[in-house]
Amino acid sequence: MTTRFAALAAVTALVTVASAAPAWAIDQGKGLPGFCPGPTGVTVVVDFQRLGGITIVRCYPNADPGTGLDALKGAGFQIAGAARWGEGFVCRIENRPSAVETLPIAGHEDYREGCVNTPPATGYWSYWHASNGCAWTYSQWGVKNRQFVQGGFEGWSFSLNATTTSNPQPRVAPVRPGTAGQPCAEAAEPPPNSDNPAERQPEPAAAAPVPGATAQPGVRSDGGNAAPGQPGTNVPGTAVPDAPVQAGDAPGGALPPPRPRTASAAPDPAANIAFTGGEDRPDVNRVLEDQSGADGAAPWFAAGAVLMLAAATAYLGVRRRRAGER
Amino acid sequence: MPGATYYLPRDLHPMAWWVWALGLATAASRTTNPWLLGLILAVAGFVVVARRGEAPWALAFRMYLYLGAVVVGFRVFFRLVFGGGEGATIVLRLPEIPLPEWAAGIRLLGDVSAESLLGGFYDGLRLATMVVCLGAANALANPKRLLKSMPPALYEVGTAVVVALSVFPQLAESVVRVRRARRLRGGDGRRFHALRAIVIPVLADALDRSLRLAASMDSRGYGRAGTVDPRRRLATGALMIAGLLGVCVGVYATLDGSTPRVLAAPMLVLGVVVGLVGFRAAGARVRRTRYRPGRWHLPEVLVALSGLTVAAALVATSAVDPTDLTPSLMVLSWPALSWTPLAGVLLGALPAVLAPPPEPALGRVPA
Repeated sequence: MTTRFAALAAVTALVTVASAAPAWAIDQGKGLPGFCPGPTGVTVVVDFQRLGGITIVRCYPNADPGTGLDALKGAGFQIAGAARWGEGFVCRIENRPSAVETLPIAGHEDYREGCVNTPPATGYWSYWHASNGCAWTYSQWGVKNRQFVQGGFEGWSFSLNATTTSNPQPRVAPVRPGTAGQPCAEAAEPPPNSDNPAERQPEPAAAAPVPGATAQPGVRSDGGNAAPGQPGTNVPGTAVPDAPVQAGDAPGGALPPPRPRTASAAPDPAANIAFTGGEDRPDVNRVLEDQSGADGAAPWFAAGAVLMLAAATAYLGVRRRRAGER
Repeated sequence: MPGATYYLPRDLHPMAWWVWALGLATAASRTTNPWLLGLILAVAGFVVVARRGEAPWALAFRMYLYLGAVVVGFRVFFRLVFGGGEGATIVLRLPEIPLPEWAAGIRLLGDVSAESLLGGFYDGLRLATMVVCLGAANALANPKRLLKSMPPALYEVGTAVVVALSVFPQLAESVVRVRRARRLRGGDGRRFHALRAIVIPVLADALDRSLRLAASMDSRGYGRAGTVDPRRRLATGALMIAGLLGVCVGVYATLDGSTPRVLAAPMLVLGVVVGLVGFRAAGARVRRTRYRPGRWHLPEVLVALSGLTVAAALVATSAVDPTDLTPSLMVLSWPALSWTPLAGVLLGALPAVLAPPPEPALGRVPA
């Protein structure tokens, strides 16, 4: 028994030796800071809203089609999915809301996001998209089911105690620098027509790049004077968001019928709040270690303790067997 | 002088071992951190080897280890078969088997990622650790003495529970005995024939044994209906079952952090109250005496406390730093660990030195 026990411990140790890729809060090796310079790729806007924190705008400069998740991760954002659903349900972006942060959601003032089950409808990352120069639209599709629009925008905005009609949209207008005033060429996006969580959005018609869009270096307004993350500074909704449904939410539950889209005002980049490209974000792994009180030496100590206990178990077992034979 | 008698060999009160083991199992249920789970396994194995007796049920511990290994294997295998594609590090590319439309959402085979395999492993390890903790309790505690220490009102339920809990060790013991008998007769026990030659005697043995147990319990007055009005018996029985169900739901909700809190403390209290009413009603009509009842001395208290400390340490830290206890698998990395739960789990090993050694088998000198 004892040798098997030791073997079990060894297997435990071996299997957990996974290739440890350093995860930076923003993986600078992926994506570009700021808006996408041209009609290639997709710009990802992450607005922490009432969580606090400076909004981040990054570009996923990939000309190939991909899902919303590809865009989010490819732009360099570090995300976590709910343990129950995987990455189909994004529950943390850039470690927000972190496991040690209390979310004052209605009816549960000291809620903490454990990222184990589906996050509550009163505190979750809402998923938006927009074509260049168009208004933000609440996505009818899950992040893994939707194709991003080339030259367009993907928005993530933390929705805290909001209803289906008051979900805050990202407070950075989906307009690439240098294209302001151009007409909106909305890419038609049919809503899902089944309850199948694996249904994929049909391949979009080749998104017509806005004519005259010139490649221009992203102009960022770092350190603007707008107070970042100030609660209650939502831009009045120009698109009617729908019920908070993301992929993985209530599998088997019917998706709500799509709402008719109201005519939307042209987004105004002048109303943007301050944002960065996320260059100065701290390492998420280090933040996690600080938050959890984890210590680099503790796993070694645990492994040593397991080995010593296994050795003691083996010794006692052998002694007992000898005594039994006597 | 208590100091001189503390380490005299004796069997501990079985409830003490059960409290200790359930404490470890509770701790295991709160975490998927492989460091902590491995440590809990090591602690349980160490204490079992250090303090188990020579009784047949004590030898069944290795069967629980096999069962745990099977649990882990199955969890990982299912991740392999039903869609292990969650995550970026693909370690195995299998051909995906297309399924019809009505099976939407189910995936057969396909790419397998290291993240999903590890997820299955962590999850399986947690369940396996809980199983092994129960095995440790079964190896250390004498099931017959456990039955003896049940409150009188719980006899009917308690008998069923004890019989159910000791079925596995009894079967394991049967297997060991039949195999030894076969070896003595010269069978090597390796051919397929051995399966038939072991399974049938084991089943026959188990059946014989249950009949013997039933007869002996019958002759000792178990299951005696007495002269009570059947309607009152029905009422007390219903009260007790309802109370126990309430307690079960309440305990589950208390231990599982994600269940609505309404089901936790209120349900527990309600169940306890209903159960106590049932106890009183049942206890009033049954009068049983005990021969040499088990007593709680200092070692029993210490053993139970060490198990409770482990559970408390993990329940407390899961409220403070959940990131450690359920390591994220979105980015493959070594699971982090902090000192509090680690130290808490190590306290669970104390019974290996704090409990007195078990009574030696007859005719054997203590080692």
